[in-house]
Amino acid sequence: MGNMSKLLNKPFKAFTLYALLTLIGSIPVYYYVVDYIWIKELDEHNQIIKDRIDERLQTVSIEKQKMDTILKFWNIMQPGTTLVPSENNTLIRDSIYTVIRENKHGNILEKDRFRGLVAPVSIAGKHYRLTVETNVEETDETLLAIALVTFVFFSLLVIGFIVLNKKIAKGIWRPFQNTLTQLKAFDLTKHKNIQFEKSDIAEFEELNEELEKLIAKNITAYHLQKTFIENASHELQTPLAVLKSKTDLLLQNKDITSEQLLILNAINVPLSRVSRINKNLLLLAKIENQQFEDIETVNITAILDESIEMLADYITDKNIALHFQNKASVLISCNKSLLEILINNLLTNAIRHNSTNGSITITIEDGKLTFSNSGNNPLRQNTLFQRFSVSSSATTNSGLGLAIVKEICNRYHWQIVYSFEKNKHLFSVTF
Amino acid sequence: MKILIIEDEKELALDIAQYMSGENYLCEIAATYDQALDKIRFYNYDCILLDLMLPGGDGLKILDFLKDENKSEGVIILSAKNSLEDKIKGLQLGADDYLAKPFHHSELAARIHSVIRRKQFDNSNTIVLNELRIDLLAKTVHIHDTIITLTKKEFDLLIFFIGNKNKVISKSALAEHLSGDIADMFDNHDFVYAHVKNLKRKLLEANCDHYLKTIYGTGYKWEI
Repeated sequence: MGNMSKLLNKPFKAFTLYALLTLIGSIPVYYYVVDYIWIKELDEHNQIIKDRIDERLQTVSIEKQKMDTILKFWNIMQPGTTLVPSENNTLIRDSIYTVIRENKHGNILEKDRFRGLVAPVSIAGKHYRLTVETNVEETDETLLAIALVTFVFFSLLVIGFIVLNKKIAKGIWRPFQNTLTQLKAFDLTKHKNIQFEKSDIAEFEELNEELEKLIAKNITAYHLQKTFIENASHELQTPLAVLKSKTDLLLQNKDITSEQLLILNAINVPLSRVSRINKNLLLLAKIENQQFEDIETVNITAILDESIEMLADYITDKNIALHFQNKASVLISCNKSLLEILINNLLTNAIRHNSTNGSITITIEDGKLTFSNSGNNPLRQNTLFQRFSVSSSATTNSGLGLAIVKEICNRYHWQIVYSFEKNKHLFSVTF
Repeated sequence: MKILIIEDEKELALDIAQYMSGENYLCEIAATYDQALDKIRFYNYDCILLDLMLPGGDGLKILDFLKDENKSEGVIILSAKNSLEDKIKGLQLGADDYLAKPFHHSELAARIHSVIRRKQFDNSNTIVLNELRIDLLAKTVHIHDTIITLTKKEFDLLIFFIGNKNKVISKSALAEHLSGDIADMFDNHDFVYAHVKNLKRKLLEANCDHYLKTIYGTGYKWEI
């Protein structure tokens, strides 16, 4: 399919990209939310600790002298809090802070983040400064954890997309695939209408309906065109016969001058071309209408021999060297007339499009019949077998010979291939 | 000799009649199926030219009728359909020959000539023409009792010329006669010239009279 991608892969790619961007975008948001909750909870926690300490301190009475010792022990025993007298015995304000400190755990130096609360407490009328600190998870660690979780979920999403995509493709697109298969197999020349499978998907059903209409129109147009050509050529036959008859009679006129004779000859040339074209159009119509249905076992070699014999004069006329090797009989099952027409047309072609003193080689090998003849320029391959595609100034060219060959090959599913190698035109039919 | 032309295309029927009239042929024309049946019922002909597509009925039925009545006319089918089935069916029903339209009058004349000969002389079919004696079955030609050797194509040409006495025959008609339908695929019919030249030479060498004339730029004529 080259650069084409399947329909479902397009949204799949977009969805994946969108999920990726959203999830990446969610990482800082999560981080800030988590960090905010952390800090808020810790502040609350610190406040509760402070309140408890304050409350309990109010219930005990401590002697002033012992206060210094108690404070000393306090600060040793309770590493999470410090209690120091406030400077100048002033009442300080509550304050909150975050600090990062380096801590030594064994031999490893680690940075830890702490959230602290500084608040005043009064013991026995004296003002103290209470600091409560709690360890908070570090920024980078939080971020890493969130990123990791996000990545895991992203992977889950992608896997889910792939699986779902395949399932949907198989299920939902099946009627579409059926339609496509039928369309591919459709052949206008086979006179067979298409019946699409019913689908419960509105879009596909609509598509099928429109396709059916389109095909029906095409078939009608094709039939009309075919009948038109057929009728036109039938209608032309009688006037052509009369024309030919009249020129024949004129030729017998005793008073005719040699100048008039030349004109008469000049009339006869295009006249026989029109007759030829007409005859070939009728022949094509007959082949298309599945006439020539009698099938028999035919010897290709024998038909080739007959054809060569029939055309011998034209071959000698152009002084063409004809090589026909491998004369073992090759049998094939088909309509004899059609095979004769095919071989005659190919041989006629090889003679007509040959140079004087040229050569023709015919070979039959492994069910492949090849005509090779000398020539100068390759023919246009894509249009070669189309009707009237070869516009030639040659007055006898009907422009239908190869179209007929192709039509016969189509009929029997034979393959006809043209190639140009080493200044030789090669036409091969694989039976 | 009497010929019945069963053909609904009036122009064509008249042309055939005109072309054949030079010889001692008497031509009658029937344009419809019923006319044809009437004529066949009451008269005898040496040869019938039968177009299969007739107003009023199928031409093949006329063949049936001839067979039922045990008539021995030679029949040549003229068909615009050029269909193999018609040809086979026609020949099976007793037609002697089949010619697809459009055709050259010279070709038709040669076929009529041949059909009539075959009907008239069952086994020894010989044409005698002044110093010429042609045995159609043995395919031999004697001139002043000396045999001359002709190729198959030269022999064919000679018979063709004799079937078209005093008519101008175009090269393309001769080419078509020699190589059939396929002839109109070629624009060069020089081989006809070569064959005619050889035939002429052989005839003259055997002291045959100078019957075969070349008409400049057009073709040939057997003048007698």
